[in-house]
Amino acid sequence: MEVSLLRYRPWRGKLHSPHKSVWTIARISLMMMFHRKIFWVMYSLGLFIFLMYFFGQYLLDWAETTTAETTISVGFIRTEPARFIEVLRNVLKFNGQPEMYRNFFWWQGSMVMIVLALAGSILVGNDFHFGSLPFYLSKPLGRWHYLGGKCLAVAVFVNLMTTIPAVILFLQVGFLKSWEYAVEGGYSLGSWTIAGEEWHLRLPNPLFFGILGYGLVLTVCLSLLLVATAGWLKRTVPMVMVWTTVFFFVRLLTAALVDGLQYHPRWRLFDMWNNTNLLGSALLQVNPYGPRPDWQPSVAEAAIVLGAVSVLCLTYLSHRIRAVEIVR
Amino acid sequence: MPDILESSDPRRGNRALIQAHDVAQTGKNDAIDAAHSVATLPSSLASRPAPATLLFDQVSKWYGPVIGLNEVSLELCPGITGLVGANGSGKTTLMRLAAGHLRPDLGNVRVLGHDSWTHAAKRYIGYCPDTDTFYEEMSGRQFVETMARLHGFSRLESRRRTETCLEMAGMAGRADRCIRGYSKGMRQRIKMAQALIHDPELIILDEPMSGIDPVGRQEFIQLFTQLARRGKCLLVSSHELQELEKLTDQIAVMARGRIAAVGTLAQIRDLLDNHPLSILVATDNPRSLAGALLHLPDVVGVELGEGENLIVRARNPRGFFRALTQLVLEESCEIRHLETLDDSAQAILGYLLGTRQA
Amino acid sequence: MTSASPWKAWLYLVWLCLQRQARAHQLVWIALGLLALTTAVVGLNTLGGRWTMNHWRFPRGGGGTQLAVWVEGMGPLPGSAPALALQTALKGAARSILFQAGLSIFSNWVVFSVFLSFLLPIWSLSFATDAIGGEREARTLVWLLHQPLPRPGIYLAKYIAVLFYSLAFNLGGFALICLVGGRAGRPAFSLYWPGVVCATLAFSALFHLMGACFRRAAVVALVYSFFLETVLANMPGYMKRVSIGFYTRCMMFDEAQKFGIQPEKPYIYLPVGSLTAEWVLIGITALSLGIGMMVFSRSEYHDLN
Repeated sequence: MEVSLLRYRPWRGKLHSPHKSVWTIARISLMMMFHRKIFWVMYSLGLFIFLMYFFGQYLLDWAETTTAETTISVGFIRTEPARFIEVLRNVLKFNGQPEMYRNFFWWQGSMVMIVLALAGSILVGNDFHFGSLPFYLSKPLGRWHYLGGKCLAVAVFVNLMTTIPAVILFLQVGFLKSWEYAVEGGYSLGSWTIAGEEWHLRLPNPLFFGILGYGLVLTVCLSLLLVATAGWLKRTVPMVMVWTTVFFFVRLLTAALVDGLQYHPRWRLFDMWNNTNLLGSALLQVNPYGPRPDWQPSVAEAAIVLGAVSVLCLTYLSHRIRAVEIVR
Repeated sequence: MPDILESSDPRRGNRALIQAHDVAQTGKNDAIDAAHSVATLPSSLASRPAPATLLFDQVSKWYGPVIGLNEVSLELCPGITGLVGANGSGKTTLMRLAAGHLRPDLGNVRVLGHDSWTHAAKRYIGYCPDTDTFYEEMSGRQFVETMARLHGFSRLESRRRTETCLEMAGMAGRADRCIRGYSKGMRQRIKMAQALIHDPELIILDEPMSGIDPVGRQEFIQLFTQLARRGKCLLVSSHELQELEKLTDQIAVMARGRIAAVGTLAQIRDLLDNHPLSILVATDNPRSLAGALLHLPDVVGVELGEGENLIVRARNPRGFFRALTQLVLEESCEIRHLETLDDSAQAILGYLLGTRQA
Repeated sequence: MTSASPWKAWLYLVWLCLQRQARAHQLVWIALGLLALTTAVVGLNTLGGRWTMNHWRFPRGGGGTQLAVWVEGMGPLPGSAPALALQTALKGAARSILFQAGLSIFSNWVVFSVFLSFLLPIWSLSFATDAIGGEREARTLVWLLHQPLPRPGIYLAKYIAVLFYSLAFNLGGFALICLVGGRAGRPAFSLYWPGVVCATLAFSALFHLMGACFRRAAVVALVYSFFLETVLANMPGYMKRVSIGFYTRCMMFDEAQKFGIQPEKPYIYLPVGSLTAEWVLIGITALSLGIGMMVFSRSEYHDLN
């Protein structure tokens, strides 16, 4: 039977612009990871720190509320347990202050690195190693769309482990303390009187934007660095070695140089995670030159290094992403 | 051709003899149900001069909830057996079970009496997988020699065997380049060479002709035939049914994890009662012949084709051809062309799998 | 017919595995690069005389070590034998402060921090997970599994090849780092090398087992090395006794105890004796090997081709 007699209706839709392929590539990459059990095992390990903060805050609040009316004896002095709990809260930084979020982002470093090592190997390394890149680039989209899609997927993983849990902690503090916490210090957009009551409209607490800013810094820097590393090394083990070198080895080495051997703090600029922490601390409006870790470079220097590394990665990727391998 | 086959057993026969045992009847597919009746061969063919090289005994294999192989029983003796089936029918699973890379969930697989999973059985198995990856940094010669050394041969013996097998596979002059730069056909030849290096009794070939040029295919067919003549048992899986027909007439047809049919093409065709044989007859007086043919008891239908052609559909091909010869002599018809249209492996496969209608 | 020898086959397999590990170019070059970087950093610090407390920032350094340097460099004082004896004792004490300061700093910041926390696990991980994991990823494992060699034998041959490279980098690299560490580094090697060997055996066996069990063994090994080991090491009580790093450090602390090198808070750390730690590490090695052989001999690898 001739095809023309089959009365197929031609597709009448509109072709989307190539920019939409960014989300398509990201979505496929996310599904590839979400289908793997190992990802969920590692993600649950990565949530340990978040759960510690989450339940820690709740526990302290519950203890404070429960012991509100009681007094205890310390030696010959009678005092309220709430004061000790307050001290504990401030020492552990479970107090909704910017330091709490800064510490949370710092401690998530290990698992974020490990999850990203897995993501890099599966999402990008496999494309280069097994030759799937031509399938992408043979479609009407450019290398930047491919790069955007992969970076977007990596960004989702980064934010799933850092920004989103931090925002949940922020909301939790608001629920436990008072909702004023959420808008404290926020810029006022105006006030109105409605039915005899005064209503104010304010932007959220600047801390909220600091959390989002910190997340953005991590997203941009880590995604570019990961895609560049995976594109260079392709196979899992070498990629993992280099990735861990950049984030674990360099951290240990710079700590040994600066803390152990008393070198100038500028040597810490090699530690990428520390640089993101400095920049993030500035966005959270926390003093980055706190007691631990000691002796830090300036925030501006950290920002310059991060920017330079990101530009280098972009430059490398613009040459690396091509449909046909050039064999020399 | 050089001879490395030092262990050929003169007691082995030249023909492969296949006997399929009980195949459980399930399923509603007519083609497969019809084919179940061909699974057991007539008893005259059941006797065999040599013990089975490969034995599948009620083997089942699951991949989670999906059944890959379903109560398969099969015995292979020296000779060439073709394995055909649609994608997903279980051919690769069967071959991997035979090669000892998978273990059956039920039943057992034996190679010359040894469980195929054990390392002792591997000594008798030569496997040419469908994988296309090697130790890419090695040359073809180095790779084949490495496989020989891993079998435990000395360096000298390994080199001798390597040269012999490379020549058999047609790679002797090209084996010094890195495998990384090989074409698909060259890789296939290297796989063939390494499968023969230790002179195995059972040779499992998964798509051996894939990527080989037509001249090379002829060479391979000659090689396989020679190996079979020397008492080796070859199990060849291929989608190239015409090539398989040139190689052997013993086939095992797989469908949905079961052996749908085993035997020669003619035997399987004979037993497909629901699908009468279609024969093209070109004659000077088609209408007259058509009328006469309709009186024959084995003829179920006659169709006037283009020009002087008749397409006759008949059961019991032997009986029909005898009757046709008699009829032609009686009627003094001139038969210009006589051709059976659907006793090829492709047609039989189509009937068995239900993808072809008579 | 020329008979095939299973022993020859197995020995050739060991040789083949050694060759193939060496041909994992990227891996070897990265490992060498790490070694070169660490050696260079340590060497430059040795040349700059940084293994002392002299350059430490106020108020940590300064006066105390300067005094020790002055006392140590003092010429013999005129006077009676008791005064000379006292001076000799003071000089010995000053020398030992300076000496131990170097060993202490080198141990804390190079051995326990950089080497034990990163280099030793990563070198072991890289070779051990690539042994089987790399073959699976490259889809070349079929060529080994198809040989008439028992699977436990294949597993063992791979482990021997892994061990060769792991020991070469861990022990050899440690020796090189200590050598360039000068006066502070050389005693560190003689104190800590048994711990390095035992840790290499245990880490290699464990990561080799992961290579047989998991497709992405390198990532699983990463989780173990840089998450579980770190988390467990900071846990109070006996939880940390589950980690290989704990026993390695116990062996090292035990040897270095006479030089005053010990865990930061021994009453929290609760170290075990050197002999116990050694046997535990050997036990972990044997157990991991045994389980690995069993797993490898029973596993069906569906990603062979």
